[in-house]
Amino acid sequence: MLIDKLVAVARRDLLTTVRYRGGLLVHIAGMLADIAGAYFLARAIGSGFRPDGVDYFSFLLVGTGVAQMLLVAISTFVLAIQEAQVTGTMEVLMTTSTRPFVIVLLGATSAFMGRVVSLALYLSVGVFVFRAPVQHPNLLTFLIVLVLAIATSVALGILAAAVQIILQKGSAVVWLFGSVVWLFSGVIFPVGVLPQPFRAVAEAIPVTHAMNGLRMALLRGASLTDVAGPVLVLCGFALVLVPASLWAFSAALNHGRRAGTLSFY
Amino acid sequence: MEAVSLESVTKVFRHRPALFNWLGTERSGATRAVERVTLRADAGQVLALLGPNGSGKTTLFRLIATMLLPDEGRILVGDTEAVVHTQAVRRKVGFAVASERSFFPRLTARENLAFFASLEEVPKAIRSSRIEEVLEIAELSSNADTLVQKFSSGMYQRLGISRALLKRPSVLLLDEPTRSLDPGAAEHLWKWVRDFGIKRSTVLIATHNFEEASAVADSVAVLSKGVLLSRKSLSGRIGVDELRSFYFEQVDGARHWERSVHADR
Repeated sequence: MLIDKLVAVARRDLLTTVRYRGGLLVHIAGMLADIAGAYFLARAIGSGFRPDGVDYFSFLLVGTGVAQMLLVAISTFVLAIQEAQVTGTMEVLMTTSTRPFVIVLLGATSAFMGRVVSLALYLSVGVFVFRAPVQHPNLLTFLIVLVLAIATSVALGILAAAVQIILQKGSAVVWLFGSVVWLFSGVIFPVGVLPQPFRAVAEAIPVTHAMNGLRMALLRGASLTDVAGPVLVLCGFALVLVPASLWAFSAALNHGRRAGTLSFY
Repeated sequence: MEAVSLESVTKVFRHRPALFNWLGTERSGATRAVERVTLRADAGQVLALLGPNGSGKTTLFRLIATMLLPDEGRILVGDTEAVVHTQAVRRKVGFAVASERSFFPRLTARENLAFFASLEEVPKAIRSSRIEEVLEIAELSSNADTLVQKFSSGMYQRLGISRALLKRPSVLLLDEPTRSLDPGAAEHLWKWVRDFGIKRSTVLIATHNFEEASAVADSVAVLSKGVLLSRKSLSGRIGVDELRSFYFEQVDGARHWERSVHADR
């Protein structure tokens, strides 16, 4: 039954994406422009700059690709709630025979599947078209870290969705988080160049650890043992954030039902 | 078929001004949308709710459909209490919302219904035939494969009724179901509601249309400002004019009473 529902949600999202033909083309063009920007930035800086011992273009490719995937996926929750509030599907969806948090999780899974496909395309274009040097990637480790990164991001997305339901300003949370990630999580420069207090902030953001683990797996062929540190930290974040976010979402829904603001935007 | 009972149900919407209400133009206070309403629709009965705008008809529906939580009182669908066993009630109640656009615009009517049928846990083996059945009831079969963004208001409304019927609800809530329908479509719907009410479901219908209430209802309840003014059986099939007179007697009587109370103060 759950798989059947996931298929239904994924089908809805796929059909909607494909039918926004212009949007799909613009998305692909934007992705190519991002990769080209990273390529020329790395060339301008020169081959002497090797953050964490890896080629800078590869560093940028993984950093920007992963950050965009996670941030866009997090914002997907808020956008989905906003869209449902604007179109009026919110209340209808929340009163079907399927529990609301299941609908949210299914929507998230579908959104993340789409973002993972985008990330795979992004990295493939970087490696095969722009010739980013990637040697002996450990794809199994990469996938394990990616799953954990997705779990923590799902939780953050659900928290932002809860804020959207209560304050109708979830997009502000996503914007703030996005800015923090770009500054602190080692997306375009290594965390090591930050002053010490900022490094402490970076440590408190799951994306920093996800970025670190994914780069190690993809660019340096690190094994699961090599990335044990980031993996354990991500597990810890997931264990705390996932139940907390589901509780917050459920509380937000009940607040909306009590106040009659579920469909407010 | 199951009865619906409301026992002394109250719903208050509280308005709090924004945190920085510097201009001081935002109203604060509370709206008593439903005030100690006690009402019962017996199994298989068609009950019409009549009342001026803002009388609480839609709020009552949203309470029964679990979109809202009551501040006081009990709502029972059959033997199931809506606040306690929310999910069980959701499986029983179908709500055709008045909001036109509560669908996914880039999906066809059939695709929208397939999506909601999955969330409503309609068994996969009978899903296609169920969708065909509800499309036929709403006279939408010939538009089943049209993107719903191209639908007219009346078609949206009929699709909303189709969606509510997908799970074969034991209680069906219709909020102004013929507001955007042409007379022919309205007649078709009225005939169907009478048959449906007798055969399968308890139907509650909120309307401003005396002809509609007279055509379909076994009894009417008149609401004004959240208060249940009176209830009348239509078992002897009273005429539209008689129903209109009864309605204005109740509503005008309530207004006179309210004015006299204010004058005494």
